[in-house]
Amino acid sequence: MQVALKIWRYDAATGDKALREYEVDAPEEATLLDCLDLVKDRQDGSLAYRKSCRMMICGSCGMRMDGGAVLACKVRMYDIANAGHVPVISAMGNLPVIKDLVVDMDPFWTKFKAMKPYLQPGYSQPEDGKEHLISQERMNVIHKESLCINCGCCVSECNAMESDPEFLGPQALAKGMRFVGDPRDAAKTERLDEYSSEHGIWECTRCYFCNERCPKGVDPRDAIAKLGAEAMKEGIDDDMGAKHADWFVHSAKTTGWLRETELVPKTQGIVSSIKEMKFAMGLMKHGKVPIPFPPHVAEGVKESRALYEIVKEQDRQGALGIVQGERALSRIEHALEADPDHAAASRIAPEEAGGSAGGAEA
Amino acid sequence: MRKVAYYKGCLASLSAKELDISTRALSPKVGLELLELERVTCCGAGDIHEAEPDYYLHLNARILAYAEDTECDTLMTVCNVCTLNLRQANHQLKGDAALLERVNDNLAKVGVPAYTGNVEVMHFLWLVAAGEGYELLQAAAHKGLKGLKIAPFYGCQILRPSKLLGFEDPDRPSSLERIIEACGGEAIDYPAKVKCCGFPIIQAREETALGELIQPIEQAKEAGADAIVTPCPLCHLSLDAWQTKLKKQTGKDFQMPILHLSQLIGVAAGLSDSELKFKRHVVSVDPMLEKLSV
Amino acid sequence: MDAKHDVLVIGAGCAGMRAAIEAHDAGADVAIVSKLHPTRSHSGAAEGGINAALGNSAEDSPESHAFDTVKGSDYLGDQDAIEIFTREAPADIYQLEHWGAVFSRADDGKLAQRPFGAAGSPRTVFAADITGHVLIQVLYEQLVKRDIKVYEEFFAWQLVEHEGRCQGVIAWDLLHGGLKALGGKTVLLATGGVGRLYRATTNAYACTGDGMSMALRAGLPLKDIEFMQFHPTTMYPSGILITEGCRGEGGILRNSEGERFMERYAPTAKDLASRDVVSRSEQTEIDEGRGVNGSVVLDLTHLGAEKILTRLPGSRELAMVYAGVDPIHEPIPVRPGAHYHMGGVETDSDGLTEMTGLYAAGEVACVSVHGANRLGGNSLMETITFGRRSGRAAAEWALANTTVTVPESATRDAERELKDLLGRTKGERPWQIRDQLGQTMLQNFGVFRREEQMAEQIEIIDELRERYPTVVVEDKGEVFNSDLTQAIELGYLLDVAACMLQAGIARKESRGAHSRPHDYPTRDDENFLKHSISRWQDGGPELTYKEVRMTRWTPEERKY
Repeated sequence: MQVALKIWRYDAATGDKALREYEVDAPEEATLLDCLDLVKDRQDGSLAYRKSCRMMICGSCGMRMDGGAVLACKVRMYDIANAGHVPVISAMGNLPVIKDLVVDMDPFWTKFKAMKPYLQPGYSQPEDGKEHLISQERMNVIHKESLCINCGCCVSECNAMESDPEFLGPQALAKGMRFVGDPRDAAKTERLDEYSSEHGIWECTRCYFCNERCPKGVDPRDAIAKLGAEAMKEGIDDDMGAKHADWFVHSAKTTGWLRETELVPKTQGIVSSIKEMKFAMGLMKHGKVPIPFPPHVAEGVKESRALYEIVKEQDRQGALGIVQGERALSRIEHALEADPDHAAASRIAPEEAGGSAGGAEA
Repeated sequence: MRKVAYYKGCLASLSAKELDISTRALSPKVGLELLELERVTCCGAGDIHEAEPDYYLHLNARILAYAEDTECDTLMTVCNVCTLNLRQANHQLKGDAALLERVNDNLAKVGVPAYTGNVEVMHFLWLVAAGEGYELLQAAAHKGLKGLKIAPFYGCQILRPSKLLGFEDPDRPSSLERIIEACGGEAIDYPAKVKCCGFPIIQAREETALGELIQPIEQAKEAGADAIVTPCPLCHLSLDAWQTKLKKQTGKDFQMPILHLSQLIGVAAGLSDSELKFKRHVVSVDPMLEKLSV
Repeated sequence: MDAKHDVLVIGAGCAGMRAAIEAHDAGADVAIVSKLHPTRSHSGAAEGGINAALGNSAEDSPESHAFDTVKGSDYLGDQDAIEIFTREAPADIYQLEHWGAVFSRADDGKLAQRPFGAAGSPRTVFAADITGHVLIQVLYEQLVKRDIKVYEEFFAWQLVEHEGRCQGVIAWDLLHGGLKALGGKTVLLATGGVGRLYRATTNAYACTGDGMSMALRAGLPLKDIEFMQFHPTTMYPSGILITEGCRGEGGILRNSEGERFMERYAPTAKDLASRDVVSRSEQTEIDEGRGVNGSVVLDLTHLGAEKILTRLPGSRELAMVYAGVDPIHEPIPVRPGAHYHMGGVETDSDGLTEMTGLYAAGEVACVSVHGANRLGGNSLMETITFGRRSGRAAAEWALANTTVTVPESATRDAERELKDLLGRTKGERPWQIRDQLGQTMLQNFGVFRREEQMAEQIEIIDELRERYPTVVVEDKGEVFNSDLTQAIELGYLLDVAACMLQAGIARKESRGAHSRPHDYPTRDDENFLKHSISRWQDGGPELTYKEVRMTRWTPEERKY
């Protein structure tokens, strides 16, 4: 089949950047990576990209297709070519480009290493020198985090990192959760403390781009949420982000509805709130700052208060509260096939909608 | 008329009252009869999901249980975050019998009816972007937007994670564009329409959030948009109420009106001022309304 | 010399990283040279598991593991090395677990062990079906913990021999460009296998026999180089791997008639017979017209969604993406593909080669633990056990010796060669030679080997080797010039192929993975119970033989 591609070429030395179009004759089963190989072998040997396993496990071939990061070896070109679509291929985002589709992974590995990504076992080892006895269920707490192949697709699209390049990012934090949740690691508190710093857990903007782009189902955003849950369970909750979250919990178990007005001073503290007075006045003029008295109490709030006490007693605290839902969520696609009624809401196909094919640029 | 259980969420109850008011006024015109859930609480947003995830599950199970209790098969939301939260909880409960049993046991202890998994959570956007709702919208939007340039801002949690939301292609969504066009407006395309407004970290990491927030506003402005429309009141809050902070940071005074989806359709459907409540917005919507009245 | 270290490890897969960690822990200044970032190494693609006689699942012992390995090797394995291997393996597994490896667990919380090919007792420790990935991660974590230096994306090109010792390597800096002379008091090759010789292979693009060829060119012998293992369950056309673990969990191979044909070929072990046996059975079924579009099928549909989603999710995804089938509902078309090289650089049980200061471990080496055929799960274990042993041996030698020199001439020679290669503007592009090599090797030196085809292949390789000096590298730049490194890799492939064919045609018997059903269908212990030894002499391969080291077991008929 004929496959047409547009590739952003880039030479870091000269700064030359150009969008070039290529067309290759590829077998029907070809992936994006196969097409790049055809271009490099037969048309332009200077095309630079990383590759190795071609089976979605080494993580080398992360790159952007139409503005969103993918593993080149995972993208089958058949439907794309058939639809006559010419995808734009470019290097991953949020990392400096060295040449064409090759990015400098140094910042990525530096953040990874900053997490102290190795087991810190403390003093206790199994007495008989054999393995720690751990149930599969307990190990499943970090099952998803252990799937990460360090490909960078999540980092590429991270909105928080785009705004603040120092944000530790989804990959590093997911790796952090891999250790926080490992029963053999003895440095949990230190880790949570470290990861709760300025560029850690609480800087995640919850855009869910990482979950969306991860080719392995790691769901880094959920790993970050697990870290937040564990941090708060350990009482490591000084950060404004933690205080913000805490106020939601407090609201739910007192009035049921979010106590919006008090949210600012509760999160930022009195001093900072006073600094925000002018801003707050601007909002107040338009009724955006509801008066907290009398409190807006939900009907049946006794139930949400009581529920809080009940779940507190049960053994799903911290990250376990998120882990408990993973089994069902990982079966969604499978359930869709088996029972169409179980499906997500009816999808609008792009062709049917006739909408614009815009979105993120290359 | 299609009867739906209606969960308005925290913001629509208080600081974004205009969303609730305009939604109620508009709904009958697009064939929706709203049964507001009385005994519900906050869905927890990403915050309770992160701080007390087991509690988050129970709060949302309770909302779903009360929705099911109305005998409607659809629970309608008007906020991206509520939609994701409720849909995620719904998937977890429907997909794991043991989990559902445990949660129902706990709900029973506090007098909440059991949830049996018969509710589908749908954002108002989805109900009017396709099918019968769309046809009714087309008919209702008789006053039209007269070619006004409207920039759709989806926000994150109505699109991603797509396996939990699944209504449309998360990279190339089109529901808002369809609605804008059906209302007689011109939909503006720009890269940041699917990106994050920064709301979740607007207090805890303001600078980072503003670095995100500026993108849709600046791009929409540059593309000549008369207004931005969004289906999420949290995005609305940051785009509208925090827009002034951008002025402080960048020196640029964008003056970009931000509309809730129900307001945009409401304008095209001829809702009154008291039903639209534009004066509750921080950034004046007047320039857009003036253009319309010309 | 651009840098010097006590121990230079070439390759950052499981063997390389394990060796480097051990060398570091032994007190040496160690550095790794790798053409890929460590976690990209092909060890990470291993799926099914790693063998050790832990006895968690059933009664087991290192002796039993050793016997299975010896029998599996079709009696070509060196039994002293095998005994060391199976004896030390359990402690190595526990070490990995203590470092935090995320293995799957049995109901009692111990490490789970699944049945695997030709194993008398279920001894394959695993992590769902991504065991290699889990090992790569834990080893990289330990590497980072020790802050071990990695010359990342440095392409090792030539071994430096000086004053009777290996003292370093000339490498091309792939990321930034330029030749670098790296000195090492000892050098440890851990460069993996050479699957890329074949059009259908489970191997990554990086598996081009680099270390084997570098050693060969430095005058060292390759042992048992004709033995390439064909994994029975790979997908068409690329050869992407579907793990043996699928059969370990109960998967069944069927032909076009729906028959579980392994019952005929291996009445006891059936689908879990030794890999060479299964590959031959499949190939026979296909050749005799009972295949489906040139494949047989691997049927997992009876395992149920739950088991597949828990134990084999990786395999399911691979089948869905690359074969377009969901194994929960449909069988997966599979056929033999080049997978693992039993042969390699000859070493002793401490990884030492013939050359002082040069060590080798992992797939690149031939100790020999696997003889003529390797058991599934033994390769990962080999990387760890022999990676550790050779890392320590290399460190100890380095710490007891003070000097390291890389003579100027080594760099100058390499520079001249490079200039030649890059200077060419007229000639052919490497892909043509590479594709032809891959197709013909699969045809003429695959599961079943015939005299005429091997003879033809020797001629083809000769012709390709004649064309090779004309290949043109289009990218003349310095930065990330993978066009250059791929051209060099092709040269490695050709050298190893020449050795393989010479040894293959000379071995007039069928043993393990070397199968000649048409002219020499049985094993000939009298004449060929010996290792082939290939050296490079006067621009071509030269063949001799060496004794097999036997301790306890005498060769018997090999039936499953």
